[in-house]
Amino acid sequence: MGFSLFDSVYWAATAFLEVVVLCLALRRRLFGRLPVFTLYLGLVVANEALMWLTYRLIGIRSRTSYDIFWTLQALLVLSRAVVVYEICRALLLPFAGIWKLCRPLLVGLGLILVVSALATARRTVHPISATTIMADRGLEFAVAAVLLFGLIFCRYYGVEIPRHLAWIALGLGFYSAIQVANNTFLGDWLTHQNVLIWGAVRRASFNIATLFWLAALWKPVPVAAPAPVLLARGEYEILAPQVSGRLRELNARLLEIWK
Amino acid sequence: MIVFVAVLVALAILLGLAWLLFSSQRGAPTPTIGDLQVEKVLPVNCRHFPQISQLLSQEDIQFMRERAPHHIQTKWRYERRRILKQYLSGLGQDFGRLERLARLIAALSPEIRKRQEWEWFWLALQFHFSYRMVALKLALGSFSSEGLAELTQMIAGLTSELENRMALIAEHSPSRMRTNAAG
Repeated sequence: MGFSLFDSVYWAATAFLEVVVLCLALRRRLFGRLPVFTLYLGLVVANEALMWLTYRLIGIRSRTSYDIFWTLQALLVLSRAVVVYEICRALLLPFAGIWKLCRPLLVGLGLILVVSALATARRTVHPISATTIMADRGLEFAVAAVLLFGLIFCRYYGVEIPRHLAWIALGLGFYSAIQVANNTFLGDWLTHQNVLIWGAVRRASFNIATLFWLAALWKPVPVAAPAPVLLARGEYEILAPQVSGRLRELNARLLEIWK
Repeated sequence: MIVFVAVLVALAILLGLAWLLFSSQRGAPTPTIGDLQVEKVLPVNCRHFPQISQLLSQEDIQFMRERAPHHIQTKWRYERRRILKQYLSGLGQDFGRLERLARLIAALSPEIRKRQEWEWFWLALQFHFSYRMVALKLALGSFSSEGLAELTQMIAGLTSELENRMALIAEHSPSRMRTNAAG
């Protein structure tokens, strides 16, 4: 297999940490609240086992190992994208109006970024590995951007973010942000030495993200708050123009003072 | 160069995430219908303006110009500017309250209009920009006494009108916008 003792121990410790997080998620009954994230944690553990078997049976330098690695990475990044959507949905769904406004924007932004990432990667004239890395960078950027956009909505409308969701979101965003820089670094300077650095940064950043998820699940997940009582249909149409008029007026006054 | 840009983007994402997830507002409770109370959302600073109006009256300005010695006039102008700064700050707070009301209504409505939300967002941007500009103008002392008097009248007129309008909102939604009197 060609792994050093340090690599083997590090791999085992990583796998152990991921199993602990998965077990905690199951213990906290997270599946009922965040099913996609729980499945994602399962996928992460399965990925470690599958890659270990692949490297052991086929070897780390074979083309098949490379294809399996990137296929699994594609699956993981797509899962992270769905997890981001799931988190935004969990936060904003109780506020029906905001969610109806936000959902198409989130999906639209995600699609635009994914299409542009794939188009950029196709245009790259680098070797195949650089093209893959550029596509990965674009996808990770899409994940981080959609997450930020969803959180900006929460901030703007004063939606509270429960502690466990904040840590889970931080883990996702942290890993994606680091990969944006890491993949750009490797895409520009693709050498054997840099591949090792890139791999180390990738693994370390994922370990840190896993620690964030551990922090999210360390304490029991708070009981879901009851859905807020909403205004009756049509009240928005009555109230909004009046508040709008008021805001416009204050603005106009201030502009008069300024001029 | 592109690596440097990517590192900056990554840092910006991380800082943005940390701010959005863990800054002070995170502990704030999620908006509820109980927050829609007239006392909480009605602009309050404008109410005190009749007193300030008296302080800034045109007659006083004329009187000070004609009778007061120079050093008293300087001190008086300084005090007037300080009061105006306080008023401007109050105007900002009043706008902030209305802004919060707008977002609260949106958060608690089953249907909202994209155009309306965009308008509120745009108005807030405009207001905050103008606010900074006026504050700068005040700091530079480029406010005329006539301007101050006009401002005084304008705000005094706005106060009662504002209360009427908020009362109208409460009438349209009596079950939602509670007052102390109503319990």
